[in-house]
Amino acid sequence: MHSLWRLNAYYWRYKHLFIPGLICAVASAVFSIIVPMVVRQAIDSIPRFVTTYRAFEGTPVESYVYADAFVSLMIFGAIILALSLGSGLFSFLMRQTIVVASRHIEFDLRNRLYDQLQDLSHDFYLQHATGDLITRSTSDIEHVRRYIGPAIMYTTRAIVVIITAVSVMFWISPTLTWFTLIPMPFLAISVFFVARMVHTRSDELQKQYSSLTSRVQEALSGIRVLKAYAREENEAEAFDEESSQYRHRSLRLAMVEAAWRPVFVTLVGASTLIVVWVGGSLVMTGEITIGNIAEYIIYVALMTWPVAAMGFVITMIQRAAASMTRLNEIFDAVPSIQSATDHMLLEAGLSHEIEGRITFKGVGFTHPNSGVRALDAVDVDVPSGSTLAIVGRTGSGKTTMVEMIPRLLDVEDGSLEIDGKDIREWPLETVRGSIGYVPQDVFLFSDTVANNISFGRMEAEIEDVRQAASEADLLANVDDFKEGFETFVGERGITLSGGQKQRASIARALIRQPSILILDDALSAVDVNTERTILGHLREHFGKRTIVIVSHRISAVQDADQIIVLEEGRIIERGSHEELVDLGGFYASLHHKQQLEQEVEDFV
Amino acid sequence: MSDSKQQNAGLDSRLLKRIVSYLMPYKGWVALAFVTVMTAAYLGPLIPKLVQVTIDREIVGGDMEGLQRMIGILFAVLAAEGLLSFVNAYLTQWIGQQAIFDLRTKVYRHVQRQSLRFFDTRPIGQLITRVTSDVESLSQVLSAGVVTILGDLFKLIFIAWFMFSLNWELALVTISVMPIMIYATFWFKRKVRDAYRDTRKQVARLNSFLQEHVTGMRIVQLFGREEEEMKRFDGINDDHRQAHIKTIFYFALFWPMVDIVASAALGLVIWYGGISAMVGGVTVGVLIAFIQYARRFFEPIRNLSDQFNTLQSAMAGAERIFGLLDTDMAIPEAEKTEEWKQVQGRIEFRNVWFSYNPETDPEDLDAEWILRDVSFEVNPGESLAIVGATGAGKTTIINLLLRFYEIQNGAILVDGIDITTLPISTLREHIGLVLQDVFLFSGTVKDNVTLRNPDIEDQAIREAADAINAAPFIERLPEGYGQDVRERGMTLSHGQRQLISFLRALVYDPRILVLDEATSSVDTETEEVIQKALETLMAGRTSIAIAHRLSTVQHATQILVMHRGQVRERGSHQELIASDGLYRRLYELQYAEQEAA
Repeated sequence: MHSLWRLNAYYWRYKHLFIPGLICAVASAVFSIIVPMVVRQAIDSIPRFVTTYRAFEGTPVESYVYADAFVSLMIFGAIILALSLGSGLFSFLMRQTIVVASRHIEFDLRNRLYDQLQDLSHDFYLQHATGDLITRSTSDIEHVRRYIGPAIMYTTRAIVVIITAVSVMFWISPTLTWFTLIPMPFLAISVFFVARMVHTRSDELQKQYSSLTSRVQEALSGIRVLKAYAREENEAEAFDEESSQYRHRSLRLAMVEAAWRPVFVTLVGASTLIVVWVGGSLVMTGEITIGNIAEYIIYVALMTWPVAAMGFVITMIQRAAASMTRLNEIFDAVPSIQSATDHMLLEAGLSHEIEGRITFKGVGFTHPNSGVRALDAVDVDVPSGSTLAIVGRTGSGKTTMVEMIPRLLDVEDGSLEIDGKDIREWPLETVRGSIGYVPQDVFLFSDTVANNISFGRMEAEIEDVRQAASEADLLANVDDFKEGFETFVGERGITLSGGQKQRASIARALIRQPSILILDDALSAVDVNTERTILGHLREHFGKRTIVIVSHRISAVQDADQIIVLEEGRIIERGSHEELVDLGGFYASLHHKQQLEQEVEDFV
Repeated sequence: MSDSKQQNAGLDSRLLKRIVSYLMPYKGWVALAFVTVMTAAYLGPLIPKLVQVTIDREIVGGDMEGLQRMIGILFAVLAAEGLLSFVNAYLTQWIGQQAIFDLRTKVYRHVQRQSLRFFDTRPIGQLITRVTSDVESLSQVLSAGVVTILGDLFKLIFIAWFMFSLNWELALVTISVMPIMIYATFWFKRKVRDAYRDTRKQVARLNSFLQEHVTGMRIVQLFGREEEEMKRFDGINDDHRQAHIKTIFYFALFWPMVDIVASAALGLVIWYGGISAMVGGVTVGVLIAFIQYARRFFEPIRNLSDQFNTLQSAMAGAERIFGLLDTDMAIPEAEKTEEWKQVQGRIEFRNVWFSYNPETDPEDLDAEWILRDVSFEVNPGESLAIVGATGAGKTTIINLLLRFYEIQNGAILVDGIDITTLPISTLREHIGLVLQDVFLFSGTVKDNVTLRNPDIEDQAIREAADAINAAPFIERLPEGYGQDVRERGMTLSHGQRQLISFLRALVYDPRILVLDEATSSVDTETEEVIQKALETLMAGRTSIAIAHRLSTVQHATQILVMHRGQVRERGSHQELIASDGLYRRLYELQYAEQEAA
């Protein structure tokens, strides 16, 4: 429950909604509680009217008596209507304030959560699955909201209704009240247990549903294997088993849900019958009137919901507390990569511009998850305006190395310097602002092509977008699309080919006109000719921009000022293209192989 | 306009009939559900009536014994109503779940028997949706649907009947507020449906923004877009909030409205009933009964409008499911199948032409043929190695032999029998397939080896594992053969997964082995194990291999060099090296390095 205390600040922030809301809740409850009293008055007045009416029956006064009764009863009816209008008005206002406030708090919580997510570093995302984070920012927040809004609203109303009704009832007849209230605790308790059982059983059902889904997912993904080994029948039987498990769980839940309404109706009905029974006896002894019986029947009807709500509220609070704990885990996480402050930078007397010299000094890094030594004693100096190429097998540490430049990762041993200054002494914004990064896995947003490219520089004009697209050799493709740069990428629009996506990702980096450009295997999905064109465009900036290029293709790296070959995190070869070919090592054999490949390609 | 509307309505009733047909196997239970729902619908409204009798006769008459007797009856009725509505609620769910089970397994079997061509053109996600959530959307209709609708209708009728039998004038007065109630309910449902549509849209927008930005968070951070994306998120989050606040408005209006209408009915009962009581004819008990009926009347109306909505949304799901069930792209079994008695393992491709488009005209030479006039023979016990660049058609040959696709022209024969005349399962039973990207299912090592075939003995698995030297690594696993490999075998290394797939082929002991060798290099130690395992696997079997290993091609009886769908060269390793053609270049590219190693 402690986790929920944090929400107090939010209540305070929306006090202008909560305070009137709670007053409305009380007012609405009070109005509705008066209705039964009026009903009693009305019913008890009937015998009086009857007696008077009988007394004057057949006399000229008869019509006056009739008119008097007519008007009095109409007034009773009108009062009942007016009271429920009042109660309705306040309950309308109650929902419009409290529930609305809960939506405001939900909004604030979610904004804060997203803001926090943006601050958290790469390592946090390695530890938390995407699906899990999404669940927290959607359904966990929803659970908390239900606690903030509905739970508080129901509680307030319930307390007012129950206290008022019970006091009035005791004032009328303590005996009858005691008997009438007997089923109420059972009602609250059974609602609590039923609600809890519904929750656990529907969680179980949900789990089985996921299991069923992943069974289908797997079977259909591995359909070739199933078919090749003629195991379809067997798999279908396994699926039957999953389905029947699902049916079983559904029925377990159905059992509780089927019991819920009858239990509710029976307990409420029992209360009513007790009123008739005990009340009837009391009427016979003259302790109460028949009007009181009608009054009690309405009180029971009025009280059932609030009493049942108390059962719900407890489970709501339990869920909300669990959800809030999960949310707090994110709120309390500290970004592992912190920016240096401008203050430090100014003290060091540096300008905000980065020229682009990158120096790795004995850099080492161990992956926190796998414990694999990804980099070990890497020494490289890349003067500003020059090009560094990195080659090596999968898993040799190439990506780890380039991820350190925009500080997606921080060095563990040794140091990384930008323009001769430790990277951690630069403001993070300045470092990332001077880098154009093209990651290995292309990631585009479902947005227009133009917006995806200008993602790299918000204020860019359409000319700049066209220029960047042209440098990435994407312009011709985009102009072929019916909607041009306004074409939607992804689910809602056209599906770009792998190569087109990759080039869009390159354009996004180029539009920033960065002093450092990083291409992490960024040309893998384009053909050799396109690669040549793009590299040609990049070459126009040679000398003005530091380029770090990771590639498997010799054609992409051969013109670099220096080439390094990584193997298990260490540099095993370094030099220019010619030097490395002459060396006859890994690089040379890669070179030879790719020449042969080209020959086969050209074979007609 | 009206024409298409009529067509729609016609379609709907056909759909509904088809949905209801899934209840037919349980018609006895459905009948029982009807009986229980009717009885409960009668017993509920009976209680206020009995209360009226009790008040007017026993309480007013001061008959204490009679009161107790009546209360006894009332409790019995109450208990019976509770019990029956429980039985009914559970029974309808039970029927629904049986029908859903039948439908779901039917849809799944239907999907599973489709040919690979079907899977090539449909995203798996879409198929999963059909089997899971689309089927689920029918569950409400199949379970509660019809029975509940009738139950609520009858509840209304019974309540009306009791009211009219007590006092028809007062009944008319009470029911006079009904039109307002019905109008309010349907107005509310319509508004809320529209508002919910908007909220669902906003929830989806919010979710996809989060999904996308959590996945692509590094891009946001790398490009320093935090502030801008925060602004966009704020906007989406705000739209989401506004959409919800709009629905709050309707709910805030609806609930008090229900209360007010019910109170209006109560007020009318007091007024009109009071006067009638005065002139005689209406007793206090009747008044109290009407107070209760006025409240009970509205619940069935609300339920009915709910049912109406679920019925509508189920239709959409039903349409998609039946659309799927009505498409059949399964490879048809021959009407008269041959028997493959003496399995020798001879394979022949005779002038095979194949295109992924089944409509391709066999005479059209310019069409997109994946294989053009491919012919070859492999004798029992011999091995064929297929080499060629990516896209040359190597994998297609394997797919066609297993009859994953139908060819357009030519014939494929095993032991002289055309494969289209064999039962598909017979054909595949005798062919073992080992794919380069090994697909493991979640489950134990043993499950993956046997594919859950209970006929394969543990002893056979152990022997096979020993034969290909896979036993050491499996026994080193904490749980041995019972080790859970998790989804797609992610806990195992590439080489280990490869060995498991060999083991799978070995325990099935096929006459023909089809192999798509892995290109990716594994560490040298495993490489050696795999090499030996392969030799064991191929010994004594007819094999076709898409070869990436030098030893496989060197030992092959025959090598087929494919280029752009055609057989360019064929012969033994020595012959092909000597001829200095495409094979020689491929050899240098792919295998020279291995020779050096």
